[in-house]
Amino acid sequence: MRESSEGLSEDQLIRLAADGDARAIRTLYDRYSPRVYAVVRRIAGDDDLAQDYAQEAWIRAIRALPTFRGDARFSTWLHRISVNAALQALRKSETRTKRERPVPEQIPVAPRREDALLQRQLERALDVLPHGMRRVLILHDVEGYTHEEIGDTLGVTSGTSKSQLFKARAKMREMLSVLDGAAQENGAEAWSI
Amino acid sequence: MEHLNAETLARLVDHTSEPEESAHVAECEACSAELSALRSQTEALGSLPEIRPPQGDWQPLEARLRSEGLIEDAGLFRKMGLAQTPGWMRATAAIMLFLSGTSAGAVLNARGAPQPLGGLAMRASPTSFASSANVEDAASAVRLAEQNYVTAFARYQELLISESGIEAGFDPMSRYAALEHMAAVSQAAVRQAPGDSFLNGVLVSVLGEREATARLVASQNDWFDGRESTTQLVASRSNWF
Repeated sequence: MRESSEGLSEDQLIRLAADGDARAIRTLYDRYSPRVYAVVRRIAGDDDLAQDYAQEAWIRAIRALPTFRGDARFSTWLHRISVNAALQALRKSETRTKRERPVPEQIPVAPRREDALLQRQLERALDVLPHGMRRVLILHDVEGYTHEEIGDTLGVTSGTSKSQLFKARAKMREMLSVLDGAAQENGAEAWSI
Repeated sequence: MEHLNAETLARLVDHTSEPEESAHVAECEACSAELSALRSQTEALGSLPEIRPPQGDWQPLEARLRSEGLIEDAGLFRKMGLAQTPGWMRATAAIMLFLSGTSAGAVLNARGAPQPLGGLAMRASPTSFASSANVEDAASAVRLAEQNYVTAFARYQELLISESGIEAGFDPMSRYAALEHMAAVSQAAVRQAPGDSFLNGVLVSVLGEREATARLVASQNDWFDGRESTTQLVASRSNWF
């Protein structure tokens, strides 16, 4: 009896997962959940929403697995599904009332000590960035989308995407300057110039 | 000297500057520093790490995947290490779920000796499996046994027809003929996988049933309650599921 999915190729795992094999799905989840969670968390700007979005992304991905033909890398395919799931869910939840739920602490994957402050400040600034700016900034500067891809994903022109990006960068810079100043006042080493 | 505004500097991070913008940045220390900071910020954003989901995130996802039928429980034969067993052998084994209640016990006690459940697998109550390490697995195995039970009836009907030409009725002679056929199939399965305890158990069950039926034939006693037709029996059992 096969007790573990370890040692199987990714193609084999995907085929098994598409057939509903619990261990294969769990293996894919363990392998890619930090990547999925990171992108939906940043788009959501909120931990409890991020958990819902991540779950939705995985449900969509597992449901769509039988249609995965391997034209793109699985990680890329999964990433696109995650982004779309998060963006769609965010649109629906923009008028939400925030639920009462304990907020789990974010655990970045293996942050380097010297980057920890910078990462924390970036994540904090991203969380408070206006939704429209945040989406474009995350897709472009964090996830590496082009403006054309952002336009297709968000249903805006590439010009709008650029405009939002430049505003978002400027806003981030402004917020980080404030956070950086506060950090220096508290004795922490400044990360920016 | 008028400084470049923040959005213009943000554009210059990765877009070509106009000549006058380049000239200004070259001369203005403040704008040059601001542009440098924006570039550092952009680079840092592109290097943000992945984030592990909160602990316990898998369980609600798994529950939802199961509720939507996207995760299938490991099948009966996979649980028993028979995933690669040819289809005809698996069909034979399924028939045995009808003929012998020991099979369901074997499924749910795969690491131990088969536990007779006393009659047809279908009659086993889920509470019979309370000792199973995983109640959900046990329930799944029972559901699968139920499906195989129906399959067994359908297959048995086919065998009755093919062996005796009798379309309905469980007369001992027809049953004996069917069991002869199944014994031959089971023996072939065991020859192919001689070390397989399940298939050996199936063969033993078939041979036992064949002997019992032979005694019935000899005594000309009815062996099945009510002498229901196979079709009627399948229909009535289907209502249980």
